[in-house]
Amino acid sequence: MIVRASLRGLLHHRGRTLLALAGIGVSSALLVDMTMLASGLTHSFAALTRAQGYPVRVTPAGTLPFDSEAGISEAAAVSQQLREVPGVRSVAPVLGAQLYLVRSDSASEPLFTSGIDPAAQMLYLLVEGEEPGDDEIVVSGPLAEALGISVGDTVSLAVELDVALGRPRGSASYRISGVGDFLFNYAGERSVALPLARLQEITGRSDEVSLFAVAPAADADEEALVERISAAAPELSAYSTRDLTAALDQRLAYFRQLSTILGSISFGVATLLVATIVTIGVRERFGEIATLRAIGVAGHRVQIGIVVEGLALSAGGALLGLPIGLWMARRLDQILLTFPGIPARVSFFVFDGISVALAITLMVGIGALVGVIPGAQALRAPLGSALREEAD
Amino acid sequence: MSRAGRLPDALERGRAASNLADPVEVVIRASGVQKVYGRSSSEEGGVAALRGVDVVVASCEWTAIVGPSGCGKSTLLNVLAGIDAPTAGTVELLGNDLGRLDERARARLRLLRVGFVFQRFHLLPVLTAAENIELPMAEAGVARRDRRQRSRELLDFVGLGGRTDHRPPQLSGGEQQRVAIARAVANQPDVVFADEPTGELDSRTSAQILELFSSLNAHGTTLLTVTHDPEIARRARRVIEMSDGRIVSDGRPAR
Repeated sequence: MIVRASLRGLLHHRGRTLLALAGIGVSSALLVDMTMLASGLTHSFAALTRAQGYPVRVTPAGTLPFDSEAGISEAAAVSQQLREVPGVRSVAPVLGAQLYLVRSDSASEPLFTSGIDPAAQMLYLLVEGEEPGDDEIVVSGPLAEALGISVGDTVSLAVELDVALGRPRGSASYRISGVGDFLFNYAGERSVALPLARLQEITGRSDEVSLFAVAPAADADEEALVERISAAAPELSAYSTRDLTAALDQRLAYFRQLSTILGSISFGVATLLVATIVTIGVRERFGEIATLRAIGVAGHRVQIGIVVEGLALSAGGALLGLPIGLWMARRLDQILLTFPGIPARVSFFVFDGISVALAITLMVGIGALVGVIPGAQALRAPLGSALREEAD
Repeated sequence: MSRAGRLPDALERGRAASNLADPVEVVIRASGVQKVYGRSSSEEGGVAALRGVDVVVASCEWTAIVGPSGCGKSTLLNVLAGIDAPTAGTVELLGNDLGRLDERARARLRLLRVGFVFQRFHLLPVLTAAENIELPMAEAGVARRDRRQRSRELLDFVGLGGRTDHRPPQLSGGEQQRVAIARAVANQPDVVFADEPTGELDSRTSAQILELFSSLNAHGTTLLTVTHDPEIARRARRVIEMSDGRIVSDGRPAR
């Protein structure tokens, strides 16, 4: 009945309760977003790295994937060496280069081009068509859409551009064997992939790759595999997905700091809101509380009523904040992913149920506990004086 | 009795059982009670509200405490009921030395064996009349079904049988005070303390409240009432007159 009275008290002051719920809801939404942002990109990037079953990267010593122009020479031998490392299921070589799209004898646009092994690649998922053979390429969806081309059509690509004349050099025609969803492309990026040997040949980077992606056997431990690869090829750098996400985390430390600061602020605002509303409510009901004590209601029972009030406000606000937070996260993600160079497949805001539940539970718990202090003050007040004050 | 109904059977049965189990001839025994308000607990440094009060209240008495404003009537009531602690002296309530009980035990004693009626009713505005009466029963652990039945009986007793689901703001002052009286006797207390129970009411409503008190007292409830109302003082069996923190007279009321 004490709890019923507390909850009805909230309904009784509808306007104030609704305003408090709205305030707590917005703070909760921000807290949810900051929790999602704190580790969202890392989780999302890790998932993307593992997407095709190739979680390990091997790069030129001291560099991160595609972090420099450096390449790995004697790629075929290194590839074979990697295949022989125990626990390696597959090795996918990748050579990154820039080709130019040729249209009407003029090079119109640079395209990021990947040389891949069609039998072992982790860059794209085929949307239609098949893997490329000799003189064939796979194009990204945005490129196919922009040029109005599809499987079976032909495009001309040049290796170099004569800057003075604005004309391409060393152009050749390629048949489109497939259209792919390129996993690491940013939104709308136009790119192509063709067999590694062909790209090595036309770019003059014979037997060179930018990196190897390594797929472990089903029972192989990723970290142990990286150690074995490092031992087998000490002249190269090997990274597990955990290493890569750690490197990403280091680079994006400001995101974590931002989310920590904003999350703390929203947490504080929500706590203050609940504390203020509950304190006002307790102050207004000072006489009621004194009456309850006078008629013999135990102090802890009165305190339960006050705590329930804080709990109801913070839980109600959190419930309101969750969908708002998820909606805001989606909108913010859309905005942030329009920044160039960020893979469209990653997400800045990833819903991690445990983290979000922990943050919300903490906020609701603190919201409930903030009622303890004004409650204890009301219960500590001399009963006779409190009753007299109420009567006056 | 004009509007008050018959005292509920449950209440009478409860009292009979209570008397059999724990007969109390002296309900209140206070000795050398002093109460000083202020930063200093000494009479020199603070405001002395009670200056050595001795009083004994027997079972089934209706005692009215009268006197001018500020003479210490309400303070005495609060001290005797265990709401305020005396600065000096001892108070025994229903055989319990209040000075030896902790707050939890005092609260339990008030819940189960003492009823309170306040000048401004002090009902919970968000609860209905019936729920306000059920509240002390719920806290005492009375089963929901029993307390529902008893609250309805008590509302009938105070003449508000049709106002079960009304909330205090929907009731007049007199009606609220009747609900407060029903709440006070919900747990079948041995003694009811009332502080200016008619102070906020007109004379007609006051008369109805007095009828209720008479009925309760006639059925064996000990009443201790602080009042300015000469009619209450006339109806009580004993009148204690206070002045300046002391009892100046104690006897039967002038009829």
